[in-house]
Amino acid sequence: MLKYLLKRFFWMIPLLIGISLISFMIMHLAPGDITSSEASFNPKASEESRQKLRALYNLDKPVIVQYGLWMKRMVTLDFGTSFASHQRPVFWQTKDKDGNVTLGMIQEALPITLLINVMSLALIIVISLPLGVLSALKQNQLPDRIITIFVFLGFAIPGFWLALILMYWTGVQHSWLPISGLQSIGHEHLQWLGQTLDTLKHLILPVFISGITGLAGISLFVRNGMLEVLHQDYITTARSKGLSENRVIYGHALRNALLPLITIFGLSIPGLIGGSVIAESIFAIPGMGKLFYDAVLMRDFPVIMGILTIGALLTLIGNLLADVAYAWADPRVRRGVMQ
Amino acid sequence: MKKTLQNPLALIGFIIIASILMMAIMAPIIAPYDPNAIDVKAILLAPTTNHLMGTDGLGRDVLSRMLFGARISLLVGFVAVGIATAIGIFLGAISGFYRGWVDTLIMRTVDVMLSIPTFFLILAVIAFLTPSIWNIMIVIGLTSWMGVTRLVRAEFLSLRNREFVLAAQTLGAKDVRLIFRHLLPNSLTPIIVSSILGIASAVLIESGLSFLGLGVQAPQASWGNILTDGKEYIQFAWWLSLFPGLAILLTVLGYNLLGDGLRDAYNPRSSQH
Repeated sequence: MLKYLLKRFFWMIPLLIGISLISFMIMHLAPGDITSSEASFNPKASEESRQKLRALYNLDKPVIVQYGLWMKRMVTLDFGTSFASHQRPVFWQTKDKDGNVTLGMIQEALPITLLINVMSLALIIVISLPLGVLSALKQNQLPDRIITIFVFLGFAIPGFWLALILMYWTGVQHSWLPISGLQSIGHEHLQWLGQTLDTLKHLILPVFISGITGLAGISLFVRNGMLEVLHQDYITTARSKGLSENRVIYGHALRNALLPLITIFGLSIPGLIGGSVIAESIFAIPGMGKLFYDAVLMRDFPVIMGILTIGALLTLIGNLLADVAYAWADPRVRRGVMQ
Repeated sequence: MKKTLQNPLALIGFIIIASILMMAIMAPIIAPYDPNAIDVKAILLAPTTNHLMGTDGLGRDVLSRMLFGARISLLVGFVAVGIATAIGIFLGAISGFYRGWVDTLIMRTVDVMLSIPTFFLILAVIAFLTPSIWNIMIVIGLTSWMGVTRLVRAEFLSLRNREFVLAAQTLGAKDVRLIFRHLLPNSLTPIIVSSILGIASAVLIESGLSFLGLGVQAPQASWGNILTDGKEYIQFAWWLSLFPGLAILLTVLGYNLLGDGLRDAYNPRSSQH
């Protein structure tokens, strides 16, 4: 087990090098260099900020030196300071000489996005598992048909459109739910319980929107996994030795059908993180997605490169956790019989 | 193809895509108005017989903009997936045919690309370039070739040592001939299925980008940027949000149904489910 984990852990190093290369290439995409006029038709990109950009990414040095310095920035997670928002540090907090702490932009936004994504994952599990199992057990009957329609719609519906409809219906027409930000007016006067409830209410729509594609995908995955497992010999064996149908389905079939789900969750992490751009910018949630969107609009390159790197790191960590969980759940991997 | 269309869901998908394609091709003929003609006397009119889908904040006819927007959606889908599929076939073929260190290098590159959230990657690239329809298509294409590469590689690996391939090789067929005459034609169905499903996701990505203002730029109409207007006027003009959203939903649904139907028709194992 330990050997497997170590191997899995060190496997991240070549991936990190690859990610640093790709992000370095993106920085050098713009014609000329990133400070040239094409990239900075934004009026804020004054001569001064161009100078800063040159200094930040050492554009006057040879390419190989630039790459080395970029690697150093990535490894230390020091992405410099933002162009657009008053020199705020991109990742780590800084302290000025009077001892005032300025929080890093990503440092501040990341927990919000993580919270939304973890809640989306929880929502996906709570809804998709029963739907998928039900669908498989009632294959080709009415419940299965209805769930299949739901799955196809879930795959096809543009998240931002669903967000607009829900905003209109629950927010504008009925005022059931808040439709923007994380806090109502007067939030700071509430007790902690009231504050938590208030924030949770603000999170309902964004969490649902982030999870919608996953809901459809995981339901379908559980259904197909269950159907496959139900045809296996060991299920026939379990039935013929007289186990109750419930034990067969929940004790034998479901546990085996769920195993690949761990990997699927790992694979769905980049989609969730990337999807936060749309959900957060529609609902004005101050998370990483919104930060990234604003940075793209203002051509705030240090923030863009920082979030790109952090997004990739989160994906790597997510995949690592998924593999560890898989090894823990599957004795064949745990004992090194099969990789 | 005939077998595919016997599947009722695939047939529905085919009909949806075919009708949208027809409307897109005939847009200049059937559109009742110039899609970019501003009419200050007809701002935000609800749907009537004059304007079947109403008008937008600048008095432009929504139906006409929807028809021209269909061209953008289809074009972006085809070109982006065309780029992705071409790269995928090329890299996947080399990987699966020659194996060895080339294979390792290509597969590790795929792993790296898959570990960067695609939407972040696309937005970052767009930030460094200027948003335009051509850049969007290229960027979506360049960030979505990984699935096809893995698929082609897997097909090639399983076909590579089949007897008909070995026979052709023994008869002196060159590598290029083996790849294009023997291996590729036998891997075509899964490639087509994944391309059709890929078009669906390209359409979703383009509309999302345009909705965020980072895709197709005004005044050129796209379903995504009509929805941006829809968001602005959501309290008074439901028609600006309803029609483009439905159009995207139907298009993506159509491609998904068609792709799934095709897969089931050629893969008896998946059709039992």
